[in-house]
Amino acid sequence: MQLKKIKTQMSLAACALLQVSSPTVQAAESTWDVDTAVLLYSESDGRVTAFEPAIYAGRELEDGDRIDLRMVVDALTGASPNGAHASSQAQTFTTPSGNGSYTTAAGENPLDDTFHDTRVALGADWTQELDRLSRLTLGANFSQEYDYTSLGISASYARDFNNKNTTLTAGMGFNNDLIRPEGDIAAIFQPMRVAGSGNNREGADETKTITDFLIGVTQVIDRKTLLQMNYTFGTTDGYQNDPFKVVTVVDPVTGLPADASVSAFFNTASTNNLPYVYESRPDSRQKNSLYLKLVRHLEQDVINLSYRYYWDDWGINSHTVDFKYRYEMENSYLQPHFRYYTQTAADFHTHNLKLGSEVVAKTGQVLVDYASNDYRLAESQTITLGLKYGMPMGDNSELSMRAEVITQTITDNNVPAGEETPDLSAVVLQVNYSFVW
Amino acid sequence: MPKIKLQQDKGFWRGSFDAMASPCEVLMEVPDEKLAHKILRAVSDEAWRIEKKFSRYRSGNIIFKINHANGNAIRVDDESARLIDFSIQLYQLSDGLFDITSGVLRRLWKFDGSDRLPQPSEVESILARIGWHKVIWQDHKITLQAGMEIDLGGVGKEYAVDRCVQIARNLTPLSVLINFGGDLATTGPRTGNGYWSVGRQITGHEKTIALFQLRKGAIATSGDAHRYLLKDGIRYSHVLNPKTGWPVVDAPHTVSIAAPSCIEAGMLSTLAMLQGDKADEFLKLQDVDYWLN
Repeated sequence: MQLKKIKTQMSLAACALLQVSSPTVQAAESTWDVDTAVLLYSESDGRVTAFEPAIYAGRELEDGDRIDLRMVVDALTGASPNGAHASSQAQTFTTPSGNGSYTTAAGENPLDDTFHDTRVALGADWTQELDRLSRLTLGANFSQEYDYTSLGISASYARDFNNKNTTLTAGMGFNNDLIRPEGDIAAIFQPMRVAGSGNNREGADETKTITDFLIGVTQVIDRKTLLQMNYTFGTTDGYQNDPFKVVTVVDPVTGLPADASVSAFFNTASTNNLPYVYESRPDSRQKNSLYLKLVRHLEQDVINLSYRYYWDDWGINSHTVDFKYRYEMENSYLQPHFRYYTQTAADFHTHNLKLGSEVVAKTGQVLVDYASNDYRLAESQTITLGLKYGMPMGDNSELSMRAEVITQTITDNNVPAGEETPDLSAVVLQVNYSFVW
Repeated sequence: MPKIKLQQDKGFWRGSFDAMASPCEVLMEVPDEKLAHKILRAVSDEAWRIEKKFSRYRSGNIIFKINHANGNAIRVDDESARLIDFSIQLYQLSDGLFDITSGVLRRLWKFDGSDRLPQPSEVESILARIGWHKVIWQDHKITLQAGMEIDLGGVGKEYAVDRCVQIARNLTPLSVLINFGGDLATTGPRTGNGYWSVGRQITGHEKTIALFQLRKGAIATSGDAHRYLLKDGIRYSHVLNPKTGWPVVDAPHTVSIAAPSCIEAGMLSTLAMLQGDKADEFLKLQDVDYWLN
């Protein structure tokens, strides 16, 4: 062989050999990535306690396909505000079945403690690689609890551009929910009745449908920074009341629940009508949200920052800021978490309904279209502070623990001085174990 | 299932496993263990796949079928065809010094550091079974004369490194270094345009370590640190000239070359070794970074 320059021909030959990236990597020993978690959620003052085991498993299939399965079980017990507000007098309410009753002491926020339920949710996603740059994900989910069934399907399409530095995603989801409450569907704006005296009901079940559309873009900014933006638009049609929630009808002069002295209709002794009417919400809702997320890798640590702006045609606007910092230590990590959430009240959120201007004293007819005192529709601020600790266990598994404190403050200008809003504080504890199987 | 191991190092994950008779390492500058594990698994699966498919020490694979066809034509898949096409180009570029049919010489030559040389008559007789020009290669079908063999071992490891670089790139934009027994390549620079530092033993002296700093591309090394014969003061390198059947003499102990891909680097270093004492001269012509020892 005479000495000659062969580098260029060598490069061409190497390109011909490698360019065709054909032999698909056979996932010879395909394995499941499994995540298991147990979450304990506990609200203060004996309100809701939830015990939630969950298992998630994902597996790569041949040709770049992927399947993800999940199961979550929620066991809820405790008490939830029933919508009526605290009063200087003791108050007696009828349970959802219409047969029992419970009494709330003067000055206390009325809680319905007949609330306990177990929910089982199952879901599966199948992601199919259409070509080198695009993927289709089809999903289905199902959840079942004592009085509620939800069935949903979803589809999303993602395509990479720009050397895989940009990914565009478009998706939609459709859910059909059926509610079949204990003691049937409460008739809107009809009064709660004294236990055992026949309740105001209309039908045994109701449905609602939820349709969501999403478009999103994920952009790799540089080797260490990822930016994600999503816009979601959704409509909910159908029954959206909480069938167990009421609104107190008050005497606007004294601020006390209506009684025989001001209303013939709420003369409980003769009519069996209690001064609480079942809430009413619009049967359609349009929601929008804009979501921004930034992930930045530092030398070792990782910053995760996100912001969500949400608005709907019920008048609720909300902002969510979420910050996580993953601090790498020798063979383990710590992750502090901060979240701030603030929302405005729904247009029809009200502390109570006033006799005369909003409720006809003689007939009990409600003169407004919609009213609810659900604290979830009130103006509120929520702060979450948390800490997570994770450590690898052997080659392929990780154990992590998370603790969070949640503080929610309800702001309601109509709440009289001295009366408390149903503020909330809660603790979340979670243990998570993930492994390869 | 063969074993893979994943450990956290300073600012990156270090995965390791054994394949192709070499210790293999995957260094990954990715933050989370899950991703690191996914990359390591994909890389090791690919290395084992290539080893299983092309090793001449395994029975039942495509190489075994070709070598035991007894004069019959064997149809090969696309990947094997590309490797064979690549080898032919090397055969032509090296004027026949690189020849995948030369593997049968290994039956005579055992480079174990001893002074046991084969008999010249033995070498002469085996030369009849060597020579790519005797092979019929057409339309994905290869026909060897009975008694001939092919061996893709000379390109397999470097090819595996480059394939694994492609696989790692598809899994992360972050930097990954693949190191299969000293043949290395990276998917791209580390953060802050940084480099990977890789130590490698470069001669028979156990303690001499070369430190390569690799920002992008690949480095491959050919050498005879442990594989040589020594007789009457002549050191016979493990690089065999397929035309004579004898080892190249006065070849450098090791040649390391930097190139855009591992297969380019590896083939240039192999061809340099085949030049014997003209290795340096050959490499100067190639306009590449190289290290001779």
